[in-house]
Amino acid sequence: MMINAWDVVFFFLAGLILLSALGVVFIRHPVYSALSLLANLCVTAILYLSLMGAPFIAMVQIIVYAGAIMVFFLFVIMLMNLSKGEYQERAVPWRLLLGLGAAALFAFQIFILAGEWRGVLSPGAGGFGVKALSHFIFTRYILAFELVSVLIFVAALGAVALAKKKL
Amino acid sequence: MIPLSHIIIFSLIIFTIGMVGALSRRNVFIVLMSIELMLNAVNIALIGVSSAMGNLIGQVLAIFIITVAAGEAAVGLAIVVALYRNRLTVNVDAINLLKW
Repeated sequence: MMINAWDVVFFFLAGLILLSALGVVFIRHPVYSALSLLANLCVTAILYLSLMGAPFIAMVQIIVYAGAIMVFFLFVIMLMNLSKGEYQERAVPWRLLLGLGAAALFAFQIFILAGEWRGVLSPGAGGFGVKALSHFIFTRYILAFELVSVLIFVAALGAVALAKKKL
Repeated sequence: MIPLSHIIIFSLIIFTIGMVGALSRRNVFIVLMSIELMLNAVNIALIGVSSAMGNLIGQVLAIFIITVAAGEAAVGLAIVVALYRNRLTVNVDAINLLKW
């Protein structure tokens, strides 16, 4: 069995993403959990950039996810200024059961997927540029684009209205 | 050459981790972050398929998902701020007024 360089890159990045995802779920303190999610999103951007030929999505991931959403999360977490007692959770007795259920669901999905998805990624081939992507968005998906802009506007208005002093 | 099935299985693992986090953690910030993790797993699958099939539809969908995630985070965190102001807690077990 030949191991080529792209496999090594994939498994390295996948291991990092997996570790940081586990960190998000299992770290107790919300700030460290948020920092772990930040690492997860950045390494995912590297995965898009290096293996999947999607440079624009990688940049959007860094700018929007890591730059805007995660800063927003950290800002609100630090704004709350929780004391130690407030983020301490009592242990859930059925957590093990839940984990087993999730693992069973995962195994079921793998069972369904076995034999499907025959494609291969060829990382060296170079991906699509911004031009092709924007051509797609602004011709075929122009309606969805406009609707999503309305959605994000309404979400911003809703956030301001919800966070007002007098609700 | 990476088989597409590796990417799909990897994204399923991340999605399952996010689901366990969203269901088992009680801190509302970590629940929201687990939801972001699940959205990110879907993005990985979409972009992997898009790259393997050689078309761009998956990437367009991924951009829309990122936008929706931004809106979801904004509204979710605003709800958390309002809840904390009224109930002084971030534990989702304590927020059960509409449960029964």
